[in-house]
Amino acid sequence: MVMSMSWFIPENEFDIFVKNLSKKRRLFVPVKENSIVRFVEFKDGIKPYFEKQATSSAKNTIFPQTETLFRFEYKKDPKDLKKFSVEISETIEAPETVVLGTRPCDARGFLVFDKVFLNPKHPDIYYQNRREKSLFITMTCTDPEPTCFCKAVGSSPADSLGSDILITKVKDGFFVETITEKGEKLLNELNLKDGDAYSKEAEKVKDEANEKLESPFDTKGLSADILKLFNTNFWEKELAHCLSCGVCTYLCPTCYCFNITDETSDSEGERIRTWDACMFFHFTLEGSGHNPRPTKAERFRNRVGHKFSYFPDRYDGMIACCGCGRCIKSCPASVDIRKVIIDLKEAANESA
Amino acid sequence: MTDREEKISELIKNELNNVDFFIAYGRGYDPIHVKPLFVYEEKDLDDLVMNIFCVHNNASYLKTVKDKKVGIVVKGCDSRAVVQLIQEGLINRDNLRIIGIPCTGVISIKKLKEKMDISRVTEAKVESDSVIIKTSDEEKRFEKDDLLADKCLWCQYPTPVIYDHLVGETIEPSRPKELEYKIVEEMEKEDLNVRFEYWNKELSRCIRCYACRNVCPMCVCQDQCVMESRNPHWISLKSNITEKVMIQLIHAIHLAGRCVSCGECERVCPMDIPIFKIKQKMNQIVEELFDYKAGIDLEATPPLYTFQVEEAKIKEREW
Amino acid sequence: MAEEKKEAKIVGFLCNWCSYGGADTAGVSRFKQPTDLRIIRVPCSGRVDPLFVVKALESGADGVLVSGCHPRDCHYSEGNFYARRRLEVLKRFLPFMGIDPNRFEYTWVSASEGQRWQQVVTKFTEQIHNLGPAPKREEKSDR
Repeated sequence: MVMSMSWFIPENEFDIFVKNLSKKRRLFVPVKENSIVRFVEFKDGIKPYFEKQATSSAKNTIFPQTETLFRFEYKKDPKDLKKFSVEISETIEAPETVVLGTRPCDARGFLVFDKVFLNPKHPDIYYQNRREKSLFITMTCTDPEPTCFCKAVGSSPADSLGSDILITKVKDGFFVETITEKGEKLLNELNLKDGDAYSKEAEKVKDEANEKLESPFDTKGLSADILKLFNTNFWEKELAHCLSCGVCTYLCPTCYCFNITDETSDSEGERIRTWDACMFFHFTLEGSGHNPRPTKAERFRNRVGHKFSYFPDRYDGMIACCGCGRCIKSCPASVDIRKVIIDLKEAANESA
Repeated sequence: MTDREEKISELIKNELNNVDFFIAYGRGYDPIHVKPLFVYEEKDLDDLVMNIFCVHNNASYLKTVKDKKVGIVVKGCDSRAVVQLIQEGLINRDNLRIIGIPCTGVISIKKLKEKMDISRVTEAKVESDSVIIKTSDEEKRFEKDDLLADKCLWCQYPTPVIYDHLVGETIEPSRPKELEYKIVEEMEKEDLNVRFEYWNKELSRCIRCYACRNVCPMCVCQDQCVMESRNPHWISLKSNITEKVMIQLIHAIHLAGRCVSCGECERVCPMDIPIFKIKQKMNQIVEELFDYKAGIDLEATPPLYTFQVEEAKIKEREW
Repeated sequence: MAEEKKEAKIVGFLCNWCSYGGADTAGVSRFKQPTDLRIIRVPCSGRVDPLFVVKALESGADGVLVSGCHPRDCHYSEGNFYARRRLEVLKRFLPFMGIDPNRFEYTWVSASEGQRWQQVVTKFTEQIHNLGPAPKREEKSDR
């Protein structure tokens, strides 16, 4: 943490700000395509869209859906054709990256990733490299949606945790404040106007945003409640309408599960890491053919359990959910994780 | 509760003893989001709704509950999936209780979203041909037809084709059939390379969540789907455009002559990819070649499960 | 000798009983044939899942040819009747996805028709050469 410094960007200079950001680094911005919004690499002609929360989270910016861990090639020994060697080439790609237009929930999601991938005993070098070179410029959420519930999981629409820079829309432009040293260094480069005059107005906007949202449930005792219902038929009935697709997990800013496979053709190939989802049958399918989570009830139980029980129990109480509500908003069957939790607490109470 | 909802509720109550559960429609998190409602006991009926926002095809769940006795509430389009499943021997008619709902169309949330900010809807209602949506700051009135899902604009089966109980009067089809393949024909005005690039662009957004497959009432392979199989290795796990295109080609080809045009694949797509077009093209081909529509006739055989020695509309290859 | 064109990648799915035999007959009779075709022998044209064709095209084939016994001559009585329906549907479907339907043909060649096989293969290869290499799908960097 550093002393918060502030700048100001007038409304009509914001485009220049975006352009300048993209000059020396890779810049991701939310873009509207058809009716959805997703984070893509900025280039000329792309019009960023900041009005609404993006449909998909920003996790693809440092945790791409597919990444090559290394490439390999079998090479035959021309003198002895029975012999061959394997050549392996490294593929870590970690360009300097800025992600502009995340919401507090997006940036916070990476704190969950950090616990897992930056574990000091065995950090994940692919993630670590990209994470170190990434910077998040978050926008205060002045217009939370009815699916939002970040307050229930300890965040808020103006939460700066996990972001490097926080931008708050004020009447004539954008109030910019630094949260981390990384953020300050970047802003120093950009020659922005001083923002002190707007700080009061920005604080008011933030306070109003925070007040707009209510907390639909209390996480106290939730972890124990989940474990209490572990072996009941609560899950089967509550989630009968779940389709067991990957929408919720793939749009989620905190779902970090992955698969590692070798994709080979002829004598060369690559080992890739791809997103995986606990809602899929194959996620826990074992080599023997046994599947410990054969139906969607067990799979969804895992999703809720992981986020609100196993993860916080293991990582100092951190809830692996940032309350962005994407899983609710985009669910094809209108599964509402808030309702699941409310019903769950009620069921646990009844069984007590 | 409306009269219709009361009636459905009553019917389900009476039928609950005959089935393990009933699949109806229930209240979602706001007035424009409805969810498929699984009714196990009477008190579950408190949440029941039946309105213009009941977009889901409840027949999507039948493949997952094959060994159960199930009751189901279906609209006209949904009922075609039920027929097709029975016809293919994938579910047993005797295990089903069907409540049919004559339907004049359902709302496309995507269309509504283009016309207004739907994040704070407090009330939604239908008044003859208008839909009124109230939010915390405004009230908007739309022509119903402007908001209906595409499939409703050419609907030829407003009344379910199969049911045990029908709630309401039979509705005669009144929509123009010519519109059915309009989205396909629009696309075909473009050159091959434009179409090629169109799909590359649209499908590049795919996140491989398989919602389109899981919701599809006719995708009955479920956990054994070739899209995820490693052996045989049809597609890799990469998120390259080739894989994404393959997924849609597999879905379309496996649905040839079986797709009932419910449009659920496109509705559920979180990335708003117009994949219903692909299915409609397949349906158009099947209709042209074999004069066949899926899910209408319990006794029919899907055209690719059979053949004619002399095909009326396939020319012997010239070379 | 005239200038050799660069070879195209053409995949052929040939039924064991007729077309594969036909190709063999053409070979034994020393009919001159283009060498672009890579033959995959299948038990029957009815074994050809339309996805084989699609997979070949998506994996970089410039053209795919399926060939089986003439209708009514199937070794298994009716395999090619099913194939005919599936392949015709596929042929009409491909252009919708922007794939040139001329990159895919299905045909019937019997084991005795060595000459006919030569014509089919020559014509199809020519057709693919005229179309040129199949367009590649471009990867977007933002995945």
